Amino acid sequence: MSKAAPARAAAARILQQVLHNGRSLSQAIPSETERLTQSERAFAQAICYQVLRQLPAYEWLISQLIEKPLKSKVRIVHYILLVGLCQLRDMRVPAHAAIAETVEACTQVRQKNLKGMVNAVLRAYQRQQESLEKQLANQAALSPALLHGHPSWLVKRLQNAYPDTWPAICTANNQPPPFWLRVNSQHYTSAEYLALLHAKGIAAELDSQLPTGFASEHAAIRLLQGADVTQLPGFSEGHVSVQDRSAQFAAHLLQAEPGMRVLDACAAPGGKTVHLLERYPAIQVTALDADASRLQRVHDNLARMQVHADVVCGDASQPMGWWNGQLFDRILLDAPCSATGVIRRHPDIKWLRRADDIDTLVALQQQILQAQWQLLKPGGQLLYATCSVLPEENKLQIQQFLATVNDAEAVPIAGIADSAATGWQLLPNAEGGDGFYYFLLQKRT
Amino acid sequence: MAVMTILKYPDERLRTVAKPVEQVDDALRGIIEDMFETMYGSQGVGLAATQVNVHKRLFIADCSENGNEPLTFINPEIIERDGLHENEEGCLSFPNVYAKVERAGKIKVRALDKNGDTFEREAEGLLAICIQHEIDHLNGKLFVDYLSPLKRDRIRKKLEKEARLAAKLD
Repeated sequence: MSKAAPARAAAARILQQVLHNGRSLSQAIPSETERLTQSERAFAQAICYQVLRQLPAYEWLISQLIEKPLKSKVRIVHYILLVGLCQLRDMRVPAHAAIAETVEACTQVRQKNLKGMVNAVLRAYQRQQESLEKQLANQAALSPALLHGHPSWLVKRLQNAYPDTWPAICTANNQPPPFWLRVNSQHYTSAEYLALLHAKGIAAELDSQLPTGFASEHAAIRLLQGADVTQLPGFSEGHVSVQDRSAQFAAHLLQAEPGMRVLDACAAPGGKTVHLLERYPAIQVTALDADASRLQRVHDNLARMQVHADVVCGDASQPMGWWNGQLFDRILLDAPCSATGVIRRHPDIKWLRRADDIDTLVALQQQILQAQWQLLKPGGQLLYATCSVLPEENKLQIQQFLATVNDAEAVPIAGIADSAATGWQLLPNAEGGDGFYYFLLQKRT
Repeated sequence: MAVMTILKYPDERLRTVAKPVEQVDDALRGIIEDMFETMYGSQGVGLAATQVNVHKRLFIADCSENGNEPLTFINPEIIERDGLHENEEGCLSFPNVYAKVERAGKIKVRALDKNGDTFEREAEGLLAICIQHEIDHLNGKLFVDYLSPLKRDRIRKKLEKEARLAAKLD
């Protein structure tokens, strides 16, 4: 009998899927780690996240260590080298084990002939580590992309949008996110649930940076230690969910009255749909998404939380295909976006997005916004949201929209300065939430 | 010591039912030593004599983290089994093939050691899976026999193709 495929080969295959085949981490990880044990899976994931966070530095090191790039037939070995370097630089793995196991991974990806080469490259790095890292630091001082582990096009956009704070955004993008919980207000206030956690000996705290004007009974809870979510009190009964702090503001900002018709326009996977129903149980929610397979997750989420919404498969930019002609009182438009606010959760985004994707997304967002506006009742409100930090998708998008329609007006968000003019841009923060954007619009009667 | 050739599926010899060992002697201990070298050399955690074309009821295993707990089982029989667990298994006769198989989670096995002395041992986890997997080999049974015919056929085709490619490269 032989043991399941080891972690290092799986990590190399995941990196190849992301960087070569353009698949996302969340698609590649499940299929490649299926046969690993839990601890091996965690190890493979940790390697992939670390490599994707600091990819330019790793690529620079490889360029110094091998003479010419590995050809496409043996390209997998390039990813094996990334996996090996990652362990030597950034993981607590004894060097001899890191090298021996990484060399062995060549057999598992059927590149036995290159074992010697992988061994030589990793040992060369080990010998020259100090001088190579010094050279790398010198290079990085000249190149923000190399220093911050971001693609150049994205660094440029961040520099333009945030002349002072862009380095902090990049730094936050490279840090693992904290663990945020959303309490189901049908069952507990946040303070009550926090007491429940403390009673179980789980270290946690309420959102300490909640803006004034936000009810602390709905504050997000940050876990201060690792925990198995399924073991949290009331998790399986839907009393608590995992959701980032920033995303939790959506249901707060889109206030709804009993009986109102509410549309969640790009609903999958349904986290915010469920949140709306927790906060406003007497509303009628329609959850719309264009992707039928992702709608299954909306069904799952609704079932777990035991709430009801009409789930509809349709294109938010083409209401004629699915809309029954009844206007909505409230619309949550969590638009498809660059996801540049959630890079710390999905470091693959940096390498999957291309500079010209942004223009395409901006056009799509404008199209959806225009279409959704037609579905809103006079006097009704639409909350535009993205998990992007780029102004083109956020405040510039809304300014563009306001210039083209004559029945829309901005609603200020209490406690957020200038929100009626520029909306609310949240930036990723090591202790706080993801990068996120909100703008609240009202239709004139 | 010598590394032996491991039979690869769909080799029909893997279907042979092994005969009980009548005498534990130096000749047999020589085979056992070679089997260990073969197993350690190919990252295995268990190897049945059947897989190296020796049709005696004998297998070896080492399921420890560091590969320093060699175990020998001669004329093994499982005398107790408990619980059911599904686990991913691979096999040295099936390079790069892995599949989930359901087996008892906890077992008790009786066998002779390499000195010919009888011993009993309880096992769980990887070792329990391994012992059941290897005893199957001695009965001519393979882990893919637990899969659907469709899956089994896909694996056979994959391995035949790889064997053809390997033959070309040589």
